[in-house]
Formats: sequence, structure tokens, C-alpha cells
Amino acid sequence: MLWLMILFPLLGAALNGLLLRNASKGVSHTVGVVAMAASFACAVMAYMQFMSGGGEPIVYKGFPWIDAGRFSAPFNIILDRLSGLMMLVVTGIGTLIHIYAGGYMHEEDKTWRFFSYLNLFVFMMLLLVMGDNLLVMFVGWEGVGLCSYLLIGYWYKDDANAAAGMKAFIVNRIGDIGFLIGIFLTWKHFGTISFSELRELIAQGGSTLDAAKMAAIGWITLALFVGACGKSAQIPLYVWLPDAMAGPTPVSALIHAATMVTAGIYMMTRLNFFYYLAPDTMVIVAWTGAATALIAATIALVQNDIKKVLAYSTVSQLGYMVMACGVGGFGAGVFHLFTHACFKALLFLGAGSVIVAMHHKQDMREMGGLRKYMPVTHAVFLIAVLAIIGFPGLAGFFSKDEVLWKAWIGGGPLLWGVGVVTAGFTSFYMVRLLCLTFYGPNRSDHHTQEHLHETPALMWSPLVVLAALSAGVGYLGIPHFLGGNNLFAAYLKPVLFVPEQVAGQWAFLKAEYSHALEWSLMGASVFIMLCASGLAIKLYASGPAPVLETWRAKISGAYDLLLNKYWVDEVYDSWVVQPLRDMSQFLWRIIDVVIIDGIVNGAGQACALIGGLVSFRSSGSMHRHAMVLMIGIVCLLSVLLF
Amino acid sequence: MVPVEHYMVLATLVFFCGLAGVMFRKNLIMVLMSIELMLNAVNIVFVAASRELADLDGQVMVIFIITVAACEAAVGLAMVIALFRKYGTVNTGFLRMLRG
Repeated sequence: MLWLMILFPLLGAALNGLLLRNASKGVSHTVGVVAMAASFACAVMAYMQFMSGGGEPIVYKGFPWIDAGRFSAPFNIILDRLSGLMMLVVTGIGTLIHIYAGGYMHEEDKTWRFFSYLNLFVFMMLLLVMGDNLLVMFVGWEGVGLCSYLLIGYWYKDDANAAAGMKAFIVNRIGDIGFLIGIFLTWKHFGTISFSELRELIAQGGSTLDAAKMAAIGWITLALFVGACGKSAQIPLYVWLPDAMAGPTPVSALIHAATMVTAGIYMMTRLNFFYYLAPDTMVIVAWTGAATALIAATIALVQNDIKKVLAYSTVSQLGYMVMACGVGGFGAGVFHLFTHACFKALLFLGAGSVIVAMHHKQDMREMGGLRKYMPVTHAVFLIAVLAIIGFPGLAGFFSKDEVLWKAWIGGGPLLWGVGVVTAGFTSFYMVRLLCLTFYGPNRSDHHTQEHLHETPALMWSPLVVLAALSAGVGYLGIPHFLGGNNLFAAYLKPVLFVPEQVAGQWAFLKAEYSHALEWSLMGASVFIMLCASGLAIKLYASGPAPVLETWRAKISGAYDLLLNKYWVDEVYDSWVVQPLRDMSQFLWRIIDVVIIDGIVNGAGQACALIGGLVSFRSSGSMHRHAMVLMIGIVCLLSVLLF
Repeated sequence: MVPVEHYMVLATLVFFCGLAGVMFRKNLIMVLMSIELMLNAVNIVFVAASRELADLDGQVMVIFIITVAACEAAVGLAMVIALFRKYGTVNTGFLRMLRG
């Protein structure tokens, strides 16, 4: 069942990509959706079977893949509570987005390439999630990177899109180096790269880990975290994600919001026992996440492109998840991953509907008042916005609250403060986006205005499902002090494992806290959320308020800084890209062309020259050759014999 | 019984006849035949030595040489025919492809 689930998307990709290249877009779409739906059905059945069996981890033996000496990496997959959840998210949301994509790509001529890539992506993502060792995970890890590159550059005829694809690919490569080093180190120090075996090893030899092993774990976790930074768009490698919005919007929703970018968080949770053993790495993880969350949120405040705002919002929310992992709250991180997948997919798809209605204009300054024209999209978008800003009762409220709570108890008030300020910024820019898009007067030109209309049912029906999820999934994790049981935390508990020798350091995770503290923290974050939203409504509800212009003039320096994303791209360009380019130029023009080519060509020319000098001796006459041969033999024999 | 020196002198004469043929005849077929002559001179030495030393090894070598010579003649003649088809001559004075 599980193998079928993984293979269906591959089958769909192969069908679309190899056999149905001339098929109409309807056929391509159907193949893509059917493959996904079949995969989702398998996932659900496998999951029910798994949960009715008690939810114990099961390793399915695949085939021996790499066996070299003491190293072995069988192609096994693992089904436990974590990968089970992830496979449901990937296939479920994937199916909805596939359905939606049929409507979004309506104006395209042929879509076999698109659906083939999209299916291939899901296949790779499933490998990443289900793999039982680091190497299988790495195959998926690289595979999703490849598909991401292919899909960002889907409209490759535009140079900017192709460049964005390459940027994503190359920045991810930098992270992948870290991931690879992590794999090598793991094998070197533990002799295995299988998750289940590593876990056994830590559980059994928990007290015998010596200082060298502990230091090794520190480096392994750090190296793997570099990989996570690349995939999950953390500082300093987050720059590719905003540019990745060049791809079609369903791609942004599936890959760059809901699934692929969560791979880093998934990987860290999968190896949580390692990370618990490396408190120093965890501090770095937590602060990287917090810094990313804050910085991305500030950039999102002033962006005008609807997808750019959502992209920075994604980076910021990923920062939240990483921060939660860094303070030991892997459960909270995965919970936020889960709710975020629902509402961020919805936000992107809603934005996609708006973009289609606006004839592929993405500048929010030209939108406004779309509520009138697109009631359904507006309704679901409103739910998604309320979910992401953490409005009480919706999904984001519970998960964000959980993350912030873990930040307080695990990282202290400062970390919590960063989180709450970020939450305030998030509320501001999301409400600003909502107001600029759906409320106030319509600011588009006459031609666009005439054609504004609701999208077809094919596009809005997946949105309704996602809206229901965005509203509902939070109730899986109602915290204890609100009278719930935090089902989600209980569900994930068997996956998490704090080794005994560091149990003292992570004791706070299990400690009891006063409900008053929880209530006041939650109250504070809700208060800030309401204030920020109120401010955004006041400023943007009927188009951008005039007062904004005067503000902008007063703080033009800061405004420019944010609008230009802290000039990070420019800094990277002048400090990293240009020196690399100059060095490559030097290697090419001086080392390669002059020195290496000089040696090689010189050797050839010298041979030709010497040959030319002595060639007058060869007359070509066979008899002379025979004679010379004979004389030679006679000379040789006389030397040898006498 | 003929003494072994006679055979040796005969073999030397035959060998130098062959060598002269290889070096001075212009016709490729004649060159090939001269090579056969040289090989057979060697055969004479082997057979004579075999009888003188009462050892069969020399005769075994002769059988080998005859076999190899037959093969060599077949390949050589085939090449001569190919050359003739291509250039219309088997005169080595005109075949100077080895010129540097």
C-alpha cells in the first residue's frame, strides 16, 4: 500500500512526461489528478491500518540499494507517526492543488510538462518523508530541489524566471553540502545512517556516549542544520524563496509554502534525539529561526507584490517552526508546520485566483474592492488571513500560541518577545494585504475591471476544503489550560525522544507551569495581534491612507531599506557572487587558457616540430626501410654476440 | 652422411638470396616469395640441427613455421590484391605511403 502510494505520482509523471506529450491539457490534468488522488487514497488506507495497529513505527524493507564494504544503505521506508502525518499532508494538499492547477493553467497551450513535474515533485517529497535512512532522504531532498528548479523556471522563456530557478537551485546546493557532510559524519561516527538504527543506538548506548561522540553529534547537527537552512529558507540562505515566486502560483502553494520548504523542519524532528544531545546547536537553531522570522516579517510589511508578501510571510513562519525546534518544542514546530501547510496553501491559491482574475497583475496597488467580484475567494481568503494572524479559534492561533509558549519556557522572554513582535508584524502585513486586495475602491484600469469575475468551481472548490481545514485543524492541539488535551502533542510524543544524559537540560519541557502564565502570554500575543490588525485596517481599509505618504517621507531611509529587502541580494552579489565570478574568470582566462592550454598545445606543437625536422629521412621506399632494418639487426647482433 | 656444415652453408645462401630479393626486387609478389625463401632457410637450419642433435624439437618448430608462413602468405597476398585494386600496381617504386 505504502509503496503504491509512493509509486502513483511517479507513474503519473512518467505517463504525462513520456507517453502523453501530445495530449490535450484536459488529459494531462486528469492524469495528474488521478495519480494524486490514488496516492492520497493509499495514504489514507495505509494510515488507518497503521493507527489501528497502535501507531508503532514500521520499517518496510525495500531492496538493497548500496552495499559497499561496511556501508549499507537499503532502500527502506519507515511509517511512524511523523512520516504518517507528513504523507497525509503531502498527498492531501497535493491533490487539492493539482485540482486547482487545472483551472490556473487554463490559458496554457500544453500542460503535460507542468503536471509531469508536479507529480514528480510529489514522488520525491514522499521519498524524502518516508525514507528510513539519510541517503534515501537525500535522494528526495535533491529531487524536490530539482523539481522546484524546473517549476520555478516553468515559463523559462522569460529570463527572470529562469534566473530565479537557477538561484533557487544554487542556493539550495550550498545547503546540500552541509547535509552531505552531515551524512558522512553520521556514518563515520555511528556506522549507520538509518534513522531507526541510530535511534536504537542512542537509546541503548545512551549513557556510554563519550565526549568525542558528543562533539561529533554537535558537528553533525550543525551540518544538517545548514542543509535545513537551505531547504527551509532560513538566514542566511533564505534569499531564494522570494524569487521562487516566479513560478506558477500552484507551484508556490505546493512547493514553496506547504511541503518542500518544511523539509528542514521535518528532518530536524526526525533526528530530534540528535538535536536534544546538542544544546549548543539548538541555541543556534533557535536564534536563527527567530531572526529569520523577524527580518522576513519586516520585509513583508512594505512589499507591494501580493506573492512577495506571501513569500516573506512563508519565510517568517518557517522561522517560527525552526525556532520551536530550537527550543526543543519539535511537537509545536510540526504542529505549526501542519496548520501552516493548510492556511498558507489556501493563501497562495487564493492569491492565484486573484492574479488570474486580474489578468496576471500581481501589484496590490492596482487591486482593491475585489470582494464584490469574487465573494467565494474573499470568504476563504478571510479565513486564511485570520488563521495566519492567530485569531482565536482558528488553526494558526493554537499552533502559534504553542510555538510562542515553547519559546518562553525554552528560550526565555527575549526569544518570546521576538516571536510576539513578529506576530504583530504578521498581523499587520496580512491585514494590509487583505484590505488592499479585497476592500476599498478598485484601483485597476478599466479594461481589467470589466473582466473581473469569480473563478470557476474547479478553482474555488479546493479552496473551500482548505478553508475548512484552516479553520478546523487547530482543534487537534487545544492546550491543557484551555480545557483541551493537546491531542497533537500526545500523538507525536512517541516520535520525540530525549536521551537520558541530557534529560536534565530539557526537563522544562515536561515541567508544570501555572495556567496564569500561559493565560497572560496568550493574552499578550492576542492583544498585539488585535492592535496591529486594527492599525492595518485603519490605514488600508479604504485604500492606502494619505497619512502613509507623510510617514514614508519621514522614515524614507528605513522604508527604502525594507522595500529593498535590506539589500541582502545586492550584498550577496557584491560579496559572494562577484568575487566568485572574478575568480572563475581568472581561472578561465589565465590558468586554463594561458597555462594549461599552453602546456597541452605546446607539447603537441613541439612533437610536430621535431617530427618535421627529422621527416626528411623517410623516403617512403620499402626497400630502404628493409635495408635499414637489416643493418640495424646486424649491428645489434654483433654487439650482442661479440 | 652429409656433414651438418653443408646444410648450414646452404641455408645461409638461401637466406641471403631471400634477403636480397626483399631488398632489391620491385614486385611485391616477388618480395613475398623472397620472404618465404628466408623462412625456409631457417627451416633447413632447424631440420639439420634436429638431426645432428637427435632432438625432435627442431622439427616441431619447422611445422610451426610452415603453418605461420602459410597464414602469412594468405594475408600478404590478400593485401597485395587489395593494393592492386586500389592503385593498379604492385610495383614498390610507386607505393610510397610511408614517406614522412
